[in-house]
Amino acid sequence: MVLTLLGIESSCDDSAAAVVRSDRAVLSSVVEGQAALHAPFGGVVPEIAARAHAEKLDGCVARALAEAGVGLADLDAVAVTSGPGLIGGVLSGVMLARGIAAATGLPLVGVNHLAGHALTPRLTDGLEFPYLMLLVSGGHCQFLMVSGPGEFRRLGGTIDDAPGEAFDKVAKLLALPQPGGPPLEAEALKGDAKRFALPRPLLDRPGCDMSFSGLKTAVLRARDALIAEHGGLRRQDRADLCASFQAAVAAVLAEKTRRALAESEAPVLAVAGGVAANSVIRAALQGVCEKAGVGFTAPPLRLCTDNAAMIAWAGIEKLQAGLVDPADLTARPRWPLDAMAAPMIGSGKKGAKA
Amino acid sequence: MRPEVTLAIDTSAAHCAAALLFRGREVEAFEEMATGQAERLMPMVEALLAGQGLGWPDVTLLAVGTGPGNFTGVRIAVAAARGLALGLGVPLVGVTSLQALRFGHEGALACLDARRGAVYVQGEGAAALAEWEELSGFSPAFTVGYRADDLALRFGGTVLPTPSLVLNIARVAAAGQGGAPAPFYLRGADALPPSDPPPVIL
Repeated sequence: MVLTLLGIESSCDDSAAAVVRSDRAVLSSVVEGQAALHAPFGGVVPEIAARAHAEKLDGCVARALAEAGVGLADLDAVAVTSGPGLIGGVLSGVMLARGIAAATGLPLVGVNHLAGHALTPRLTDGLEFPYLMLLVSGGHCQFLMVSGPGEFRRLGGTIDDAPGEAFDKVAKLLALPQPGGPPLEAEALKGDAKRFALPRPLLDRPGCDMSFSGLKTAVLRARDALIAEHGGLRRQDRADLCASFQAAVAAVLAEKTRRALAESEAPVLAVAGGVAANSVIRAALQGVCEKAGVGFTAPPLRLCTDNAAMIAWAGIEKLQAGLVDPADLTARPRWPLDAMAAPMIGSGKKGAKA
Repeated sequence: MRPEVTLAIDTSAAHCAAALLFRGREVEAFEEMATGQAERLMPMVEALLAGQGLGWPDVTLLAVGTGPGNFTGVRIAVAAARGLALGLGVPLVGVTSLQALRFGHEGALACLDARRGAVYVQGEGAAALAEWEELSGFSPAFTVGYRADDLALRFGGTVLPTPSLVLNIARVAAAGQGGAPAPFYLRGADALPPSDPPPVIL
């Protein structure tokens, strides 16, 4: 039987809704970003994000249904991101979904945002289990061995900032607009990647863990030295800093990917997250895969960055595998995919963040 | 024509509340709670409906308390109400807590605790966030809500008993006086622009 699900996503700064079928047809995928709202603050402000989600999400759902040409009566279930993420936005999505489900009698599936990303290659490419997933975005960075709809083993991840966050912060340091990825990549094209010897954090340590916070600090030091010397930041210096920074991130991701592939013996690498759209990083990862003789796949950008089609799809996979658990509907800021792994970030009393 | 059934929900403060107006009857459910409204709200409403022999499809008008109050709490009920409206295909209106407090008393000055020495108030004009000590310029016929006794001492007027917020939200909606079903914050998001300015580009 073909299932049709509505997906709802609101865990960061994108309000999204989508309608997806179990035969891998994405009937609609509506994403309303909030970049302009957060731009003056140099990063996502949780309360501002929550306010926007509360006002926009139901409109996204209505649009997703209309664009898909289906009514609520045509759906088999509603899937919603219930964590991890900014709790205000997650709560808005979960409550909207609870309202729709109560009114229609549709079953509700709580989905882990990370599982949404990790299962996307199965929606876009029909990828078979197992595969290695590198999730690399503004909020996350981890290697996941994906062996089933609910089977995730984390091989490593960042111990501090996510690469997308580092791109944003470095862009800010260099007077580039937010979000920082695309403008930084454009500047880097004009620059010399070998001019500044920036660190490759944690490359000297075994394993697949990464760190990007020190790299950002190194860029700050180099920038301040240039400003002290010239009384400001010259355009070519900025381009060279961008290129050097981007090369450092690419080198770290490539080497750690090489190790993760060797350790997991996965036949294919799939990447997801906005940072995977960076062409230098993508080329570096593809190069590693070629050398290792494993396949490489990256979902198209619109399904690779935050969206609700991946949530609907993860909901479909959970339904088909009989993995639906009412407890998964509780909105939560922290929800590691691999419950067995030692927490990496936020290991305090609240538990692992992701 | 099926009879009008108005359902109101409110989680704008440390409570979870719902009310039903139908066939001249008024019933409500109210529980004090600081957290957990997200889990409690729907089962509470379902029990309230079932207790009157009603179900979701019987609801003809939805109302939601939009605050001002706890930001997250306000969003819990507003998001749920929007989902219900979408699913049921019935109209949804928002009612502020101050509107609800003043319902039926045109000349009332309504007041809610806004913490940090501040209050949310509404008299004849628009609602506002103000320092308690700096309130001025009111001459209400009634006072209602937070520190209504003190307000009456300061500005005159008769103290009204505090009504059921959620019942009045339903009454305002049923009277056709509701507004947009959007959170009514009155207080900013408390976000500051970055402190370190960007470098000068040469």
